[in-house]
Amino acid sequence: MKTILLVCSAGMSTSLLEKKMCQAAEKKGLELTIRAVSELEARNYTGEIDVLLLGPQVKYLLNTMKELMTGRSVAVGVIDSINYGMMDGKAVLEQALKMSER
Amino acid sequence: MVIEIKKIDRVYQTLLFLEKDKKEGVTAREIAGAMEANRANISRYLNQLYRNGKLKKIEGRPVLYKSLSVENKNPTSRSLDTIVGAKLSLSKPIQQAKAAIYYPPRGLHTLLLGGTGVGKTMFAELMHRFAIETENFDKKAPFVQFNCADYADNPQLLIGHIFGVKKGAYTGASRDRDGLLKKADRGILFLDEVHRLSPQGQEMLFTYIDKGYFRPLGETDKEITADVLIIAATTEKPESYLLSTFIRRIPMMITLPSLRERGLEERYLLIESFLKEESKRVGRSIYINKNSLISLLLYDCPNNIGQLNSDIQLACGRAFLTFKTENKEYMMITQSELPDHVKKGIMKIHQHRKDVEDILKEKGEILNFSYKDKNISDNSEATGSKFFYDIIEKKLNSLREVNIKEERINEILNIDIESYFKKHLDSLPAVMKKDEVRKIVDDKTASMVEKILKLASKRLNRDYDKKIYFGLALHLQKSIERIQNGEKIYHPELNHIRVTYPEEFMVAMEVAKFIDDKYRIEVPLDEIGYISMFLSSNPYRTRGKERQKTGILVIMHGSSTASSMVEVANELVGDEHAVALDMPLNIDPETIFKKALEEVIKIDQGRGVLLLVDMGSLSNFGDMISEKTGRKIETIEMVSTPVVIDACRKAMLGQDLYQIYRSCKDISINRKRPQKKKVRKKAIITTCFTGEGASVRLKEIIADRLQDSENIEIISLNILNHEHFLTTLKQYEENYKILAVVGTVDIELEEIPFISAVDVLSGDGIGQIEDIIKNEEIYLKIEDSLKEHIKSLNTVTLVDLIRKAIKRIEKKLTVKISEEVRIGIVLHISFLVEKLIKGDSGIVFSDLEKFQKEYKEEMADIKQSLLSLENKYKIVVGDDELAYLCQMFLENKERY
Repeated sequence: MKTILLVCSAGMSTSLLEKKMCQAAEKKGLELTIRAVSELEARNYTGEIDVLLLGPQVKYLLNTMKELMTGRSVAVGVIDSINYGMMDGKAVLEQALKMSER
Repeated sequence: MVIEIKKIDRVYQTLLFLEKDKKEGVTAREIAGAMEANRANISRYLNQLYRNGKLKKIEGRPVLYKSLSVENKNPTSRSLDTIVGAKLSLSKPIQQAKAAIYYPPRGLHTLLLGGTGVGKTMFAELMHRFAIETENFDKKAPFVQFNCADYADNPQLLIGHIFGVKKGAYTGASRDRDGLLKKADRGILFLDEVHRLSPQGQEMLFTYIDKGYFRPLGETDKEITADVLIIAATTEKPESYLLSTFIRRIPMMITLPSLRERGLEERYLLIESFLKEESKRVGRSIYINKNSLISLLLYDCPNNIGQLNSDIQLACGRAFLTFKTENKEYMMITQSELPDHVKKGIMKIHQHRKDVEDILKEKGEILNFSYKDKNISDNSEATGSKFFYDIIEKKLNSLREVNIKEERINEILNIDIESYFKKHLDSLPAVMKKDEVRKIVDDKTASMVEKILKLASKRLNRDYDKKIYFGLALHLQKSIERIQNGEKIYHPELNHIRVTYPEEFMVAMEVAKFIDDKYRIEVPLDEIGYISMFLSSNPYRTRGKERQKTGILVIMHGSSTASSMVEVANELVGDEHAVALDMPLNIDPETIFKKALEEVIKIDQGRGVLLLVDMGSLSNFGDMISEKTGRKIETIEMVSTPVVIDACRKAMLGQDLYQIYRSCKDISINRKRPQKKKVRKKAIITTCFTGEGASVRLKEIIADRLQDSENIEIISLNILNHEHFLTTLKQYEENYKILAVVGTVDIELEEIPFISAVDVLSGDGIGQIEDIIKNEEIYLKIEDSLKEHIKSLNTVTLVDLIRKAIKRIEKKLTVKISEEVRIGIVLHISFLVEKLIKGDSGIVFSDLEKFQKEYKEEMADIKQSLLSLENKYKIVVGDDELAYLCQMFLENKERY
């Protein structure tokens, strides 16, 4: 089972996205763990992660996170801002899945 | 509270009534019996009446009470002839009053007209006294006074009160009860504010006037006769529709002059008599310096004698306080004892110097008024003032007992006096306060404006009169509101002002700083331009010569609605600029239209006319007149007084028709449906100097090359006149979302991006436009999707405010963020606002203190940029949140 971590500064705006992504996953019949966390939680997250997605407003964390995740085979990226703006759970889920394939 | 006051009057009237048969005096028990009330309560009222100086108390068992008015009158001089102005402005009213009383057999019913505070009640009382003195009335003839406004919301009760009630007339009418008309038999019934009587009540009153009898409420067959002289009073203007029936039915009409009409000489006599009355109450002489007396003579006193009297009482109260607390030898009124609006009177001395000198010559620098001097009028009954001085003295002593410092005592008591008078003013009818600027401007603004003008007059060595004070106060109230809402302030002649009034501009900067601190806002440069205009000595002339002004015409249904609105507005603005056209309901629209047409032609100075109307057919007048005459006319509907004031003020400032139109529209729309934005069509503006050359060509090119161009309006405008261009642009902004301005010259608009013609012709200009369009569409979708998640808010407004705030932050921190990050931040702030409104607990920023120390200024800048959101949604963005936001902007900034 894959784990997707959504990161924004306080986990506030991503928690709604988390919900919508879960709904989209359910529809597709996928079993996934999707969690919205704050920057701090992400830094200290010890569990398995497959995809780590940043909210566009914390894009600046991209390099830091990539460094942190080196050697852990985690795909790190920024959520597409338009999908994020529309809280499009389905589209962001697709983005995450695509990233994990690579 | 209202009932309490009425009850005390009833106790007094009952006493007067019982006194007729009991010359030695009346006991509390007897009054309680007559009124079917609790004796202890009646005693309390009697004591209060005694303290107010209305009754005489004869100690004994039981205590007897007697009214003073019957005993105390001076039989040799006739009251009517002794009042101030009897031989001057009041000579005609007095003649009429005498005629009314003498008229056989029992006088003529009389209608008293005049504004608030001209002394209608006192005049009616004097007529009563005169009738007794001349033995036209019996010595014990009652004088029954009633204010029809008291029960105006309950017409049945009012009618019952005046005409009496028959047992069973309504639930609770358990017995027959006499009305005031019966109680006033063989005397006078004084009906104040008679226009508030219901049509049914009027009809009953007229029946009585015509036939001499009436029927109590619920009575069907028995007619009651009473021999009463009716004196009705009203503040309505004689030509008012409400009064037309009264004027037809009541034979004698007496108009009392306003304070202004009475002239300075008489005003001096009034001041003298009021000061002497106060002197009598305190039991000592009152001194006043010359300048204070001049202030009293000249200050604007729109609520007439009543206001003059209460202002003098306030000054005496303060003087008494200083006298007591500082153990002075004399009770003296100086400028510092005068209420602020009175102080300003001295500034008008240059217009009246000669008259004032005539009155005050040989009077010395300090004048003395004492009740011991002859010539004291004892016309007016002592009011609650004695009581009031007692309170001060008692409080003073008790404060001293607990060892409170003198200056602190002074402060406490000063507040007491203010609140006493505030209460006093509150109890006056609504018209009383209409021109009190504080009614329209809140206290905070008003007191700030006072400070601002003080500062400015010190810096610029110049006096500011009331006109400027009003103007600036009204103006700042509006501007601060705008700034707080994050709305733009725009000054079309900023640079001109800066060059013409460099000193004022410097002071205005200082003033702006002061306002910034006070309201935690940032006053923009444009607003500083406006403030400079107020501070320059003659604000209505911005170019050295008198400018032509936009005409203002107010047309309203009703016989006096328009004129009274205009009266208020003109008085506040200090110029007779606005013109009123009343439209009584019985006059047909065509006649009014003709009149409106004539007025428009008369007042149009070439800059057009703004029509302010209420509803119905009036809304179309503007277009019809414009068609007929070709003149520039705009119409605002559903107009209220603040709109009229705002329009006048702007017209006086020389703003053009469209500027005024827009601003007034904002006010009236805000009132009707706050914050409802319509869906706007998208538009692109192309410009060139003529509006016919390059701009038209650009329009064609863009229409041709732009995909999706059918959904976008392209408008070509000329920029020959910068001011005019900006006004036109603003007009378009009402109906369009302006995406970009395309042209040869960058006009440097803050909120609308500019794309150069060169780029459109040979570069990626079209691409830029398409990016903008795409971007707008994204935000449209974001707004839509947010609607689902944030149901409690209008997300269009929310996103709009957030985007503006982000722009401000970028500017202040001099950072630029990418569109991608911008969307993220918009979302972040949207949810933040929602969370704060819900009252959810905040998030924690680790190591906040360290961050705060390092980015103190940035955080303050962000805080300020978010004010519009904080104010709009009544939230406070905490430091942890600010730190996160600060990080988002600084860390995400794009490298140039």
